[in-house]
Amino acid sequence: MLNDVTFGQYYPVKSFVHSLDPRTKLVLLIAYIVAIFIAQTFYGMILCAIVLIATVFIARVPFGSVLRSVKGILFILILTSILNLFFHGGEHLLTPESWAIKIYREAVVFTVFLLLRLFLLVMASAVLTLTTTPVRLTDGIESLLTPLKWIKFPVHELALIMSIALRFIPTLIDETNRIIAAQKARGADFESGNIFKRIKAIVPILIPLLISAFRRAEELGDAMDARCYSGSKNRTKYKKLVFGWRDLVAAIVCAAMIAGVVLFNVYAADIWPQIYEYIIIK
Amino acid sequence: MSEEQINIGGEKKAPQAERLSAAQNNTPPALPAEEGQAPKAAAEDAVVLEGVTFSYNEQPVPALNNLSLTVKKGEFLAVIGHNGSGKSTLARLINGLLLPDKGKVTVFGMDTSEGKNPTEIRKRAGIVFQNPDNQMVASIIEDDVAFGPENLGVPREEIGRRIDWALRAVGMEAYREGAPSRLSGGQKQRIAIAGVLAIKPDIIILDESTAMLDPRGRREVMEVVSRLNREEGMTVILITHFMEEALLAGRTIVLNRGEIVMEGTPAEIFLHSERLEAYNLSLPRIGKICKRLQGAGIPVADCLSPEVLADEIAAAAKQAGAATSGERYVPAPKAADEHDWDIDIRDLTFTYSSKSPFASHALNGIDLHISQGEFFGIIGHTGSGKSTLVQHLNALIKLPQAQKKYRPKKPKKGQPAPVLPHISVGQFDLADKKCNFLNLRESVGMVFQYPEYQLFAETVYADVAFGLKNFRKGIEKEEEERCVREAIEMVGLSYQEIKDKSPFDLSGGQKRRVAIAGVIVTRPHILILDEPAAGLDPLGKQEIMELLHKLHREWCSTVIIVSHDMDEIADNCTMAAVISKGRVADCAPPRELFRREEELTSLGLDVPLTAKAAACLAKLGYTVDTDFTCDDFADRVISLFKGGESHAQ
Repeated sequence: MLNDVTFGQYYPVKSFVHSLDPRTKLVLLIAYIVAIFIAQTFYGMILCAIVLIATVFIARVPFGSVLRSVKGILFILILTSILNLFFHGGEHLLTPESWAIKIYREAVVFTVFLLLRLFLLVMASAVLTLTTTPVRLTDGIESLLTPLKWIKFPVHELALIMSIALRFIPTLIDETNRIIAAQKARGADFESGNIFKRIKAIVPILIPLLISAFRRAEELGDAMDARCYSGSKNRTKYKKLVFGWRDLVAAIVCAAMIAGVVLFNVYAADIWPQIYEYIIIK
Repeated sequence: MSEEQINIGGEKKAPQAERLSAAQNNTPPALPAEEGQAPKAAAEDAVVLEGVTFSYNEQPVPALNNLSLTVKKGEFLAVIGHNGSGKSTLARLINGLLLPDKGKVTVFGMDTSEGKNPTEIRKRAGIVFQNPDNQMVASIIEDDVAFGPENLGVPREEIGRRIDWALRAVGMEAYREGAPSRLSGGQKQRIAIAGVLAIKPDIIILDESTAMLDPRGRREVMEVVSRLNREEGMTVILITHFMEEALLAGRTIVLNRGEIVMEGTPAEIFLHSERLEAYNLSLPRIGKICKRLQGAGIPVADCLSPEVLADEIAAAAKQAGAATSGERYVPAPKAADEHDWDIDIRDLTFTYSSKSPFASHALNGIDLHISQGEFFGIIGHTGSGKSTLVQHLNALIKLPQAQKKYRPKKPKKGQPAPVLPHISVGQFDLADKKCNFLNLRESVGMVFQYPEYQLFAETVYADVAFGLKNFRKGIEKEEEERCVREAIEMVGLSYQEIKDKSPFDLSGGQKRRVAIAGVIVTRPHILILDEPAAGLDPLGKQEIMELLHKLHREWCSTVIIVSHDMDEIADNCTMAAVISKGRVADCAPPRELFRREEELTSLGLDVPLTAKAAACLAKLGYTVDTDFTCDDFADRVISLFKGGESHAQ
């Protein structure tokens, strides 16, 4: 049942992208998403796509695993494209007048644009999770949220909760697999029957798992107490994230890309006015 | 022998007997050091408990009762006692995790009850707990070790130095940036120790920290602990079930029902077999052999290591002019000559998460035959693939050919067809898609490690009946009740008393028995148990093994146990296979297997102490042909003397 749950998506190789600071990657991902949404020309979009493909190559992760990330939202993609294609209005009708279904040229262009945007967005996020361990990601998020301490937001506690959750996910997956195997050995059947039967079949897994999770939590609490944990007061932090030259390079590349997108928006409109006419979002 | 007369129970220790200190030559010189520093040490009491009483809310009987104890700075104290004797409570009281109801606990002069600064006390006294998995907070080792000093507000650079030091102290510096989930139990526990060391405590308390580890892990941890005591002068309080570990200590106390009932050097304690048994602690194996030899009139002194035992026997044999080789071993005739339930495994390979960057080969071509009627032992380290192997036997892991999606691959031209794994259990062909896997699982019972963690039902009855209802749908109520009753009685519990109780209200040993009952309720022909005695105290272990023998005699034709305890294998199994790196490194009856000490050592495995003693005796010129169970070993040694007498006449 849980055989295919590999924890996180991290792809362990060494690369330029892997060794970037997680904060850089998080901020650049946000910047990238902004860029694909302000891009209003095909040239801008293509520029964004080229940057992403180049990043995937530099990151040395298989292109297939990046593409696979789109699988999860495939249904949403298909649904939105169909809706857009049929219901987006326009001036240049593509289908014959007599048809009940009317598709306009503007709708096609708009749909292609939307698809591209969503593809790039999901794939860019996949590059982040493929090249950053969950732990580094947590460190990055904690560091980026630090300013919120001023408004008494419990940043440290939140980070600790995330870190402990990450730490225990593999342990609990192992435990779940063991309990499933043990109950299967006692003839339990989790794979057949209707939905109610299946839900009922989960009880012999869920209860031992819950009990074990509570037991672990209790022991962990004791162990933390014994190691002098007393909240975030007077606490130091050993790990400090440091920006390096790579982060600077990445930031410059990203800035150049955004600049390119903006320039295309302003100037490319005249280079290819026919297309621009259709693709502008109103 | 008069020097063996020792007072125990809080009185001053008698000088240690010569041969006892020989058995301890690896131990830290706790006693001499203490004597040398006597005037200074008197001022430095690390821990003082005065008349401490503590009871948990629900329990009417106190967990600790009017207990007084002083631990000197730099001392290595072992605390032993059966499960529920109050050992863990003691650890938690010293560290301030629990506060005494009555009496006073002081750590370096600070009273834990004053509650002004628990952090100050915890800074001086660190605890390492039982389960290494449940004491780590971070997914990267250096972050985890940093947790303690971070809490204390230690500056960053200093934390870095402390991590260096702590990881070096436990010999794990190479793993600094690794993830704990990929480590062995022993390594994880060493990381947990490093995490405590990074706080720079003066006292380190190990609360059964080795109970969940395999022998290699246990050795690793104990080496670290005794080095810390020896070289860093750290005060160590070691709570344990294992005699070998307690022997490393300078002083041992025995707890029973919350009171200190014995106190002395470990040697003194373990030589008092009768009293240990009275406190629900079993006599160590070697003690049993000594008693048996003495009972036969052979003048051997009580001893604690196989080497000393061999010397003792050789000396006695020389004096008595005994024969140099005893009776030859005659293998007992096999009980069952049937082969209806033979297990046959060929070319079994298995890879976890194949096709991913994390793929790991668990099994690399296993060939194994297990005949019906064996009490079969599967030996191997954690991660050797033994658990994966046994999960194939009842198709919890199905062979590739038996999986729904399987399509036979056409062999490429010029290449031989790939060898497919084969497993058959009795008439069941596990490579066949049409095999009735439910019937197979009914016939091949499987008890996992720590089976008590799989209990889930509201009552013991419902939990035991769970498997029965799954396998025999529509079973009659009366029949069901009869099966459940027989299973519960088989595991040595009272049906009437226990059937309506919640399984979660039972004691640890009872829970395990109920869990075993839940598997044997269908009367499987083959019973497989993964580490059936793990985590139990010595007496509990003994009882579980006795239960398995009873099952083997009365209900199950074949019993297979997975274990890393060589003494357990030697004492119980008729046949054993050694699994190493996903292969069968050796498969033989214990009698032959444990002669190959070099081979086993090269695989990082131990031999039982009887085999060690026999090997030492062989060097001294005495041949003992034994199957390496304690009883048989003693009998063979006795036969040396008998042969010797007849020789002399």
